[in-house]
This record gives sequence, C-alpha cells and structure tokens, in this order.
Amino acid sequence: MTDLIQLLINGLAIGSVYALAAIGFVIVYSATGVVNFAAGQFVMFGTFAGVAMLLNAQLPWPVGYGAALLAMALFGALFFAVLYLPLRASPVVTIIIGTVAIGITMQNAALLAFGSWPFRLPSPLEGVNLTVAGATISAHAVAAVIVTALMVALLWLLFFRTSLGIGMRAVAQDIKAARLMGLKVNRLLALSWILAALLAGVAGLMLGPMWFADTSMGDPIALKAFAATIIGGFGSLPGAIVGGLFVGLSEVLGASYVSSAYKDLISFGIMILFLLVRPQGVFGERVQDRG
Amino acid sequence: MLLTDYHLRLVNLAVISAVAVIGLNFAFGYAGLISLGHAAFVGMGAYGVALLTTLLGWSSWLALPVAVAGTAVVAILIGVPLLRLKGHYLALATLGFNVSFSIVAANWIEVTGGTNGISRIPELQIAGHALSDERSYLWFALVVLAASAIVAALIHASRHGRAMIAVRDDETASSMTGIDVRRVKLAAFVLSSVYAAVAGGLFACHMRFISPEDFGYAHSITYLAMLVVGGEGSIVGAILGAMLVTFLPEWLRFLGPAYLAFFGLFVLAILIFLPSGLAGIRWPARLRRNGRMNIPGLLAASEEVRP
Repeated sequence: MTDLIQLLINGLAIGSVYALAAIGFVIVYSATGVVNFAAGQFVMFGTFAGVAMLLNAQLPWPVGYGAALLAMALFGALFFAVLYLPLRASPVVTIIIGTVAIGITMQNAALLAFGSWPFRLPSPLEGVNLTVAGATISAHAVAAVIVTALMVALLWLLFFRTSLGIGMRAVAQDIKAARLMGLKVNRLLALSWILAALLAGVAGLMLGPMWFADTSMGDPIALKAFAATIIGGFGSLPGAIVGGLFVGLSEVLGASYVSSAYKDLISFGIMILFLLVRPQGVFGERVQDRG
Repeated sequence: MLLTDYHLRLVNLAVISAVAVIGLNFAFGYAGLISLGHAAFVGMGAYGVALLTTLLGWSSWLALPVAVAGTAVVAILIGVPLLRLKGHYLALATLGFNVSFSIVAANWIEVTGGTNGISRIPELQIAGHALSDERSYLWFALVVLAASAIVAALIHASRHGRAMIAVRDDETASSMTGIDVRRVKLAAFVLSSVYAAVAGGLFACHMRFISPEDFGYAHSITYLAMLVVGGEGSIVGAILGAMLVTFLPEWLRFLGPAYLAFFGLFVLAILIFLPSGLAGIRWPARLRRNGRMNIPGLLAASEEVRP
C-alpha cells in the first residue's frame, strides 16, 4: 500500500511533466496546424535553461527560474520567426521535417554548450520529504503536480476570461475569419508558440530534479507527449492533461508491476489501440477534416 | 575511383538508403501516405536475414527473399488497420509502430541479442567470390539500386502507379473512377516495405553487424527527409536525396563539433528555399541545352506527379 502511494505520486509527477509538454504541443497544433516534432527538445531546452541559470550562473532560484522562463519565451518567439513564418504555407510533411531538423540543431547546440555529461538540476525543495500513510514522498514530486494544476488553471483563465485568449481561440478555429474580424493574427500565432515554449520551460524545470538532465532527453519526452496527445484526443487541452497523466502513471506502475524493459510498450500499445478504435481520443477532436 | 575505404563505405550506405527511399516514394511520394515507420521495415529485413543466416545457417541468397516476404506479410497485417488513418494520425501511428519495433528488438534478448545486436552475419558470395571489401560490394549494391529504380519507374508508368498518384491527389474522385482506394494504398504501403526489407537485407550483409539503434524512428524521419530534400514523387529525387543527406554531415565536418547543428539548419534551408527538392531545381537554360544532364526529362518526370 505504501509502495502504491509512492508510485502513484511519482507517476502523477512525471505525468504532469508529460501533460505540460502535451499541452504546449496541442496549443501550437490547434493555433497553427503544425505537428511540432521538436516538442521534446523544447522541454530539454527548458531543463538546460535552468541548468544555465541555476548551476552555471548561480542565481538564487526565484531569479533563476524567472530568467530561464524569460529565455524560453524569447526562444518561442525566435522559433515562430525562423521556422513557422517561412514554412507556414508548406505541406504537413515539410513542416514535420522542418521541426525535426530544428530539433537536431537544438540538441546539438545544447551538446556543444553543455557537453554530454549529465547534470543534476537542484530543486528549491531539495531534500524535503513528506510522509503520507507511511510512504515517503519527495516534496518536489508533490510540487510538480501542484504547479501543473496551477498552470492549467492559469491557461483556463487566459483562454476563457481574457480577450487575448479568446482571440487565440478564434485564430485556432478559423484563421481567415479571425483576420477579417480585425484580430492581429500573426501576433496571436506568435503568442501560441511563446506559450508552448513557456510550458515546456516549466516542464523542463520540474523534470530536471526528477531525472538526470542530459542533452538527449528530448526524444523520449516527445514520444510520451505524442502518445498523451493521441490517447487524450488530438487538439484537445483536457485530453492532453488526461493523456499525460495516464502515460506517466502507466510508465511508473508498468515499470514496477509489469516489466521495466517493456514499460514504454504499454503507453505506445494503448496509443496504437486508440488510433485503431477511437482515433479522436478520449476527448474527441470536433473538426473531421483536419487530417 | 580514388576513393578511400571510408568514403566507399559512405557511398555504400547512401546506395542502400536510396533503395529504401525509392520504396518510401511509393507510399509517400505517389500514394501520399505519411509513414514514419519505414526504418522498422528496414529493420525487419535486416533482422530476418541476420537471424536466418546466423541462427539457422541458411545461405544469404535464400534468407534475403524469405526476409523480404516476411516483411511484406507484416506490412499487410499492420497496413490493413493502420491505413484507415490519414495525415498526421497515420504519421503518429506508424511512429508508434517503429518505437514498438525498437523496444522489442532491444529487449527480446534471447532472439535479437538485445542492444548488443547480432554480429558475424555471413558475407554475400557471388559464384564463389565473396563480396568482402567495400569496392566489390558497391558494384553489387549499384546493380540492386539500378534494378530497384527500373522496377519503380515501370510501376510508376503503369496504371498501378497512376492509380496511386490519383489516390494521393483526390481520394473521392479516384474512388468514383473505379479505383479501389484502400487496395491501392495497401499496395503502395506493402511495396514500400518490400523495398525497405531489401535495403535492410543489403545493410545486414554489408555491415555484418546490426543492432536496434540502426532502425530507430529517427532513421524513419531521415528516410522521409531524404525523399523530401530530393523531391518527393521522383525516383531520381529519391536517389539524390539519399546521397545528399548521407554525405552532408561529411561535407560539413570542416565546421568541427558544430557540424550536426548546422546539418539541421541546412536541411531547414533546403525545405524553405527548394520546396520541391533537388529534383525540382530549375537549372539554367544553358546547362539544359548542353545536355550534360538530362534535366528536362527529369523535370518532366517530377512535374508529372506534382499537382
């Protein structure tokens, strides 16, 4: 029982990170139609922004976190300008390969800057443990779940209570109509990339203390984010959350109760099952002709 | 040919990739199916040959066709359910297939040797002459590539090839002209897996050692990148793309440790500035008239398949 509680919390914590990565992926997909294969490298950049600010520059953590997130926001804007703007009218595959190419560049730039040696990103809650029903749980894992819940609440406020967010949803729904209504479409599209980069930044900062951070960590995260997106429903924000938590839980519980070698097959097997039986995921995508 | 063994090895790898990419051209270039699982089919061909020769002691010449046939059967089995999906759903499903293949290949240790892979795959022999060095293997690989390209060109020119292109351009319209859309898609998918398995068998016999990382999903994306960079829908483009993407990191080596970072930017630049790939370059009129390269024919071939 105590083991189970520990596994559940750890699964939720890692699942929160996948959920944030998946939300960033979904926001960009809904707004711009881009399937971002560099999503995992975004999270890797988030972790290494943390490494640069907290370990290399030795900033105190509130300042360091702020600086890392600011760097991620700038990166999101840069990505919009360098990749999205020139390729926006290209076919899906060209954009997929474009994001992969940029992902390769990102990974190798990080490798040049930080080397292949893994880093241990500290947490502000380093060494703090909680005891719940006899199980010892790291406070960082609990904080990761809480931060994710907070981010989701903020996103909900942004999308449903501010004119900015409503504009972003309008662009996601019909870009031409939004332009005709006088919305600054390009600015809103840029904002969705910045938002995705920020969410990946938060995910990266939370992931750093849970894993050892190395520059090849991006690909496995991207694969989990894709699985989460499919299971939850392509283009659906609640789906990204549910899918992310599911993938995280299945990974941690599967590794412990089934087989650590085949733990990833569970989430991918279920992803393929969903594609075959219910491709619209748990929270189906309404638009039929997105494919 | 004054190439060092290392460069000959790269040419061999590029030729083997070109066979796989010509295959991918059926699925993606002609039928418009975004497949991110091509490397898994290459892997099945390679593992098939490796297992049949090392475990059962078969001759490579017997193992190759059996491995290719086995891969085709797997392609039919997964193609029937997966090909109902379109666009990026299909892309992610085939990606999941590729990831699953890698996980099984890395963990089914009793059969695949896990991450240690399979070594001591016997070399190919032709009339008692072993294809043991890079140069003799290259001649053999070039013959296979030429045969693959000719067969692909014949299929492209046949009504089957035109049916694939029709399905890519407009599914509804082509089904109304009597084309069985699902069957054409499956045929393109299985054909692409057959080419992939041939490439995998060539790879296994050339390297004589294989491991799961040779067939990860990143390689599927590389094959797709080769096709898009070369110019999708064009056999010449498939070959050019395979050559360029194999050698580009080599040519960028003067950049030192940053060469892979620049590799990504180069591919991006090609996508932005050459949207129809290398085969779609408008060469200057002078070059075309000289006939040094048969570009008009090339252009006509690539334009025929482009809407």
